Amino acid sequence: MIPLAFGLPAFMQPNRLWLVAVPVLLLGAYLLLLRRKSKQGMRYTNTSILDIIVPAQSQWLRHITVGLALLSLVCLAFAWARPLGTDEVPRERATVVIILDCSYSMDATDLEPSRFAVAKDEANQFIDALPAGYNVSVIEMYGTSLMILPPSTDHAAAKRAITAATTQPSTDVAGAIELAVKALQMAPAGDDGDPVPGMVVMLSDASGTTANSSPQQAASELAAMGVPLYPIVFGTDNGYVDLPEADGSIKRWQVAPDHAFFDRLAEITGGQAYSADDAAEARQAYEKIGSEIGYVEEQKEITAWMAGVAALFAAVAAAGAVMLGARWR
Amino acid sequence: MAQAPVASELAAVQSVLAEPAGPTLPLNQLAPEAALRRLELAIVRRLEGFLQGDHLGLLPGPGSDLNDARTYVPGQDDVRRMDWAVTARTTIPHVRDTVADRELEVWALLDVTPSMNWGTGGVTKRDLGIAAIATIGFLSQKMGDRFGGLVMRPSGLRRIPARSGRTALYALLRSMLTEPIVPDETAGPMDLPQGIDQMARMQRRRGLRVVVSDFLTPGDVELDPTVETEWERPLRRLAVRNQVICVETLDRHEVDFPDVGDILIRDPETSFERYVNTSDDEARLRMNAASAAQRERIRVAIRRAGCAHIQLRTDRDWVQDIARFVLAYRRVAGLLHQPPRGVGK
Repeated sequence: MIPLAFGLPAFMQPNRLWLVAVPVLLLGAYLLLLRRKSKQGMRYTNTSILDIIVPAQSQWLRHITVGLALLSLVCLAFAWARPLGTDEVPRERATVVIILDCSYSMDATDLEPSRFAVAKDEANQFIDALPAGYNVSVIEMYGTSLMILPPSTDHAAAKRAITAATTQPSTDVAGAIELAVKALQMAPAGDDGDPVPGMVVMLSDASGTTANSSPQQAASELAAMGVPLYPIVFGTDNGYVDLPEADGSIKRWQVAPDHAFFDRLAEITGGQAYSADDAAEARQAYEKIGSEIGYVEEQKEITAWMAGVAALFAAVAAAGAVMLGARWR
Repeated sequence: MAQAPVASELAAVQSVLAEPAGPTLPLNQLAPEAALRRLELAIVRRLEGFLQGDHLGLLPGPGSDLNDARTYVPGQDDVRRMDWAVTARTTIPHVRDTVADRELEVWALLDVTPSMNWGTGGVTKRDLGIAAIATIGFLSQKMGDRFGGLVMRPSGLRRIPARSGRTALYALLRSMLTEPIVPDETAGPMDLPQGIDQMARMQRRRGLRVVVSDFLTPGDVELDPTVETEWERPLRRLAVRNQVICVETLDRHEVDFPDVGDILIRDPETSFERYVNTSDDEARLRMNAASAAQRERIRVAIRRAGCAHIQLRTDRDWVQDIARFVLAYRRVAGLLHQPPRGVGK
């Protein structure tokens, strides 16, 4: 629902809004009368004593009563014009592409037990929470990204694929996003023939990225399809991995996540990047993404709601009128 | 005493809503001149002047009251004034001096500030004050007595010169009645303490002074009678050389707060504006108690300054009230108007 404070809703019959003129005119008349009233009144000589004996009577009850009565009239006028509010309806079908970063940098143990384990674990829980009708596709991202699972409603297969993933050298973000575009194109259309809405969740740390083609360009392809990309960036700034070199020695690589890079990608596609310094934050990110993709906004008539607000205002105004009308003696 | 006709009574009642357009009493109803001839205002302080009058003067001169005896100066004193008793005892010729009988000069200060343009009992307090001045004026119409007026507007004092005779008194009263009504919330340098001070400075010659006001000071919320009012000190200064009568004009609804429901109350002099539920019994009782305390403070202050005090109400017959005051005044005036130490009577 859109409350009044966020601006006026759309109306089904906006031509009926002329009724708002009635309370506006009444308000003008009230202000005019208030102004005139101050000229009239009883003269009394001994007001210095009156001042200390009878403390100033506040006029707020008067003004609030009038204001609420007029506000209730405004709401009634709005209700007559049949306002439209937005309602969140659970989405029945959607395609979720999960890009799982399988580069060596995900082996960093700055998250307990490791970035990769946390990412896999949380991804599985995320899939569990998805409605059964959603298509899930899994893409492993490393030197040559691979679509492990094309879009399908078989969530168990997706979880198996994620669980079975192992780390590989290098990272190809652009390739993975292009694969996601392909996966979304492969997704079956909805019952009415329209393409199903989709979203891409990228679990990555972005370290050691090899850019064969520009990831930004791939992201803009995604944006052209109207699909948002939600990167979840794993790891802390002092994460590291020890990798064997060609001569057999072990070399330590600093693998700090590149937040700015993912923020940029998310911005291009209209999604949002989340950073996950630990497992709890990763879960929160998933919950946010889940709520963002789980519902669709729909316009709906909110006449009854508006009338209810008008009735509430009228009730309080009536209470004020009773207070004013009664003689408290 | 004939009461004012209905039309002018309505004009006074309308003063509750707005400032009145003009006087609420005609000139011929201010005081019954003939009925007042038999009354006399007691003048207890000695007077100065040049003319022969009916009241006791301060200095020797031709008069009816005997003063001291002094030795006879041949060629200067009249032998008919010989005091034979003293001459016989002292064997030196003595004459008896008399104290000059002087005329009385009365000055009346009329407060016409907006708070006086108010009244619910048929007349406004201002017109009641003029009526009081008229009544006192006719009471002091002995031979040669002069009557002058000062009209205190917020902008300043207007002086109506003192002249003797009833025609002159009528002219003064008419002049006061036709004095333009001061519009509400008129700001000005003049207030009651200053008005009294100026009156004491302007008229040096001893005499009777009448101060007509409601003695209300805007913004003064003090109710304790032991605390001096703002106008008390000037009043005491005025009373050093003069016999002072304070006429306090009052309305019934200043003592008894009206029950008129929920209403906007404005002050004619200040910017005070407030909605007041006048039907609140408790508040009204408290208001009445405070007003009574305030009046008591005014009474005590006037008494402390050594002045006589007449309280007149717009809903009562002022002639009767003043006559009653004059009768009682005969007995107490001498005591009341004792001059301060070091000042001659």
